[in-house]
Amino acid sequence: MTGEATLLELKAVDKSFGGLRVIADLDLVVKEHEIVSVIGPNGAGKTTLFNLITGIYRPDSGEIQLDGRNLVGVAPHKITELGIARTFQTLRLFLNMTVKENVMAAQYGHTKVGVLRSMVRTPGARREEKEIHRLAEEKLRFFGDRLMGYRWDQFAYSLSYANRRRLEIARAMATQARILLLDEPAAGMNPRETHEITELIGKLREDGGYTILVIEHDMHVVEGISDRVVALDHGIKIAEGSFEAVATDPRVIEAYLGLRKAETK
Amino acid sequence: MNWSLFFDLTVSGLTLGSLYALIALGYSLVYGILKLLNFAHGDVYMIGAFIGWYVLHALGGPLNPTFTGGVVLLLMFIIAMLGCGVLGVAIERFAYRPLRNAPRIAPLISALGVSIFLQNSALLVFGAGFRDYDTFDLIGVKTHNIGQLFFSVPQLLTVITSICLMVALTVFVARSRLGKAMRSTSFDREAASMMGIDVDRVISVTFFIGSALAGAAGVMFGLVFGQIYHFMGFIAGLKGFTAAVIGGIGSIPGAMLGGLIVGLGESYATGYLPQGSTFQNLYVFALLILVILVRPSGLLGKAALQKV
Amino acid sequence: MEQQPPDTPRIGVDEWVASVEGKRERYTGVRGALAREWERLPPPARVLVFAIPAALFPLVTTDGNVFRYGLFTLVYALLALGLNIVVGFAGLLDLGYVAFFGCGAYLYAILASPQFGNHWQAEAAIPVVVVFTAIVGLLVGLPSRRLFGDYLAILTLFFGQAFVIFVNNANRIDFPIFGHTDLTGGSNGIANIDPLNFFGYTIDSTKKQYYFLLISVALVLILLMFVNESRTGRAWRALREDPLAAEVMSIPVNRLKLLAFVCGAATAGFTGAIYGTIATAALPGDYDVGLLITIYAIMILGGFGSIMGIVVGAIVVSSVPELLRSSANARPLFYGAILLALLVKLRPWRLLAAELGGLLVLGFGIHAIAAAAYPRLVDGESIGSGVFAQGLDHWMLFPKNPVKIADVAYILLVAAIVVYPQLSRLWRAVLLPPLLYLVMFVWENLLLVHIGGATRLILLGALLVALMNVRPQGLFGTATVEIV
Repeated sequence: MTGEATLLELKAVDKSFGGLRVIADLDLVVKEHEIVSVIGPNGAGKTTLFNLITGIYRPDSGEIQLDGRNLVGVAPHKITELGIARTFQTLRLFLNMTVKENVMAAQYGHTKVGVLRSMVRTPGARREEKEIHRLAEEKLRFFGDRLMGYRWDQFAYSLSYANRRRLEIARAMATQARILLLDEPAAGMNPRETHEITELIGKLREDGGYTILVIEHDMHVVEGISDRVVALDHGIKIAEGSFEAVATDPRVIEAYLGLRKAETK
Repeated sequence: MNWSLFFDLTVSGLTLGSLYALIALGYSLVYGILKLLNFAHGDVYMIGAFIGWYVLHALGGPLNPTFTGGVVLLLMFIIAMLGCGVLGVAIERFAYRPLRNAPRIAPLISALGVSIFLQNSALLVFGAGFRDYDTFDLIGVKTHNIGQLFFSVPQLLTVITSICLMVALTVFVARSRLGKAMRSTSFDREAASMMGIDVDRVISVTFFIGSALAGAAGVMFGLVFGQIYHFMGFIAGLKGFTAAVIGGIGSIPGAMLGGLIVGLGESYATGYLPQGSTFQNLYVFALLILVILVRPSGLLGKAALQKV
Repeated sequence: MEQQPPDTPRIGVDEWVASVEGKRERYTGVRGALAREWERLPPPARVLVFAIPAALFPLVTTDGNVFRYGLFTLVYALLALGLNIVVGFAGLLDLGYVAFFGCGAYLYAILASPQFGNHWQAEAAIPVVVVFTAIVGLLVGLPSRRLFGDYLAILTLFFGQAFVIFVNNANRIDFPIFGHTDLTGGSNGIANIDPLNFFGYTIDSTKKQYYFLLISVALVLILLMFVNESRTGRAWRALREDPLAAEVMSIPVNRLKLLAFVCGAATAGFTGAIYGTIATAALPGDYDVGLLITIYAIMILGGFGSIMGIVVGAIVVSSVPELLRSSANARPLFYGAILLALLVKLRPWRLLAAELGGLLVLGFGIHAIAAAAYPRLVDGESIGSGVFAQGLDHWMLFPKNPVKIADVAYILLVAAIVVYPQLSRLWRAVLLPPLLYLVMFVWENLLLVHIGGATRLILLGALLVALMNVRPQGLFGTATVEIV
């Protein structure tokens, strides 16, 4: 996994809200096909980091580059088109649309039939529509039979919590991104579901070829998936390296206050 | 430089501005707490004007009052404010409270329904014609002047009363317990209710205050401009709303500032801009669009930060 | 290891989750069967279900009826469909929409009337009008791009007002290049608009206009249904659901908002052009808040986003006020509605009978007391002839000069209606007959008199509030789940 090209790079990124400095002089490198976990206590700036990368916030200073191409100032939907997709900590599905529609909607950036052609359903429009359906089914199939068959036409609000998280990931995949930002994908899951998620993330890299940046609190998951772990506290990177190295780093332990050692067994 | 014209326009603008500020306060208060645009607010203002009229005539009319002019005026104000306050609370109970958890568009439609209802009820009960306040003899139509600055008693009364009401409101919100409750409810309704604040009561009080202010403004309109009609709430409501947005919706000083800007702007436009009096409303709207584009949160408002 | 995906919901797991809490309505029996069959029809077939009876309508009734009920229904339906793109699909509250309608009408009038001596053919004029209105929609939409919700509503409302002001006064302005021209006829508008003229075929009779409109509505319906299921439709719906999430899912939110505005405006412009030829004049008063409320009422009744619901809404909203013009029609409608409400709300049957009986007795009692002690209260008479009206004379109070007392009664009634729901069950049962008597008193003595004017709007306002209370998603809309 090392020796791959750098896909995403942040250099000296700074972000403040009013007087509060949320991200301070952050450097981060993610190589292609890597799985990097971002850990840190609440308020450390992890979600803000995602928001900066996806263009929802604009950094006060510093650079963010995807494959060498600058992302600062680019509109969020364009950033997604360029290859970065994310899920949300608090789940932001399109609840009143069906499962399949959620996944199909995310393909907007890579499709091109306009409203006029859709209105009259030209052959080209119908062909693209078929392709959109096919891709959606392919992404949904990734999750076994949990989101298959009759599920496709069910409204998203009727899904169970775990299925909603899976749907969000499927939706992110449908944008045909190269790098997935998963914000606490295992939050609120029981041990069996957590185990499934851990396997899923691995499968995303092996079978899907994705590069993955994960925010997680559950150390079992972090240990199970990460090539590399980055620890943030108050917006500063305080440790980086393998899971063992970071988990035993005294500054990380101090930041978590009370976790004497990352319990893994 | 025609100072006389300038002063005339300024006085007129201040008067109008005070009215708009009072209306704007109602919008701001309600929006701050419920994030709801109370479309019916302008019509409450109209009802206030009519209540004032009825009180005036119940007390013998402008030519034959039972009490002295000052007392009659006071009664008009008090009863109009009380009546409108109660009306506002009733509107909230009936049209908005059941919809607290409905999609955002439902209370807006409900507000529209209340507005239509009020306007046409007024049409039904009061008729389509204009009603005259005819209070000039009562309070003195004389214009006083300081040098080239001319003003009439109703105008002065309007400006001073508005200032007093606004000061009272500011003190109330800043100092009193209920005022604190109002402010915290506007920040986070759920958290406020968990801190033991009776949110329903706070909302009712907010509506009461906002509507009472509108009622006062309605009476003042009648005193200054002399004629009231059932449709007067619509444009006044729009302008009051413009004032609230320009000043920063949700902000009390903002509503006052916004009212001033709209009132003066409209007045100066009438006097100085080409075809000003025909298009005065257009100029006000243009001003609104400008502010929304340049500073969407208004001049004194705070940009709301969304937690993603 | 690939298992066959399950074909049916597993009992106890999925549909249960959905239908519990009433989030998704599962109808049983006949209603359910009808609903399911409906959903299986492809869009063109659904349109036919409405189009065929509509096509037969002119054949079974007079031209006058076709004009009053048919034409306006279709015009409103078209307008509502266009507005549905902006509000129902994309979720943007556009309160200046009728200005685009007016724009279309006025522009067509400029192109095809004696005002400037232009007499364009429809096949040339209509595309020009549509494109021009679309551009206006673009211009209005541009500043609105970054706005949402309430701010957008205000901005569009003001644009609508600006349009009315402009059109009312454009005969008095000195334009910079054109000099002093009478662009819009001021408050008199532009009259004598040419009828639609396609390649020499003139649409000049009511029947022809009706069929032209019907075809237009059917076409727009089908086109919109196709768009709804397309990439753009999905993007609009995603935008309505959660603009932020949509933006990071590669959907260019601002661009799509503009697109919705433009499409809505284009539809309105098209409708405006046709309406101009039907009304033969473009008048400023036609494009003001009154029409806006009517169209929104259609959308609300039909349910936001429900295309077929809009058609039903248009039929209801345009026929009911017409029906209400005469007291002969208004009475049955009003009393019918009240009876229906009582039937639905009052269970068991015994209670309903008791209340109605009590009402009857109360009426006779009050009438008798009044006849004996305050004869002035029964000196007048009810409106209209017929058995019912005559019967009312002996039961209801009809003062000789009802105006003042009816006004007071009206205000009392409004207050009573506000207070009534706050009472306990017992009091509500006891006070229902007097409340109903008061309602009828106000109706007979005040509302019915003004049935042509204020009453209809009062009822509309009350209906809007009541409808939002009972069913915020509209009659045919689906209950949406909101992200708070």
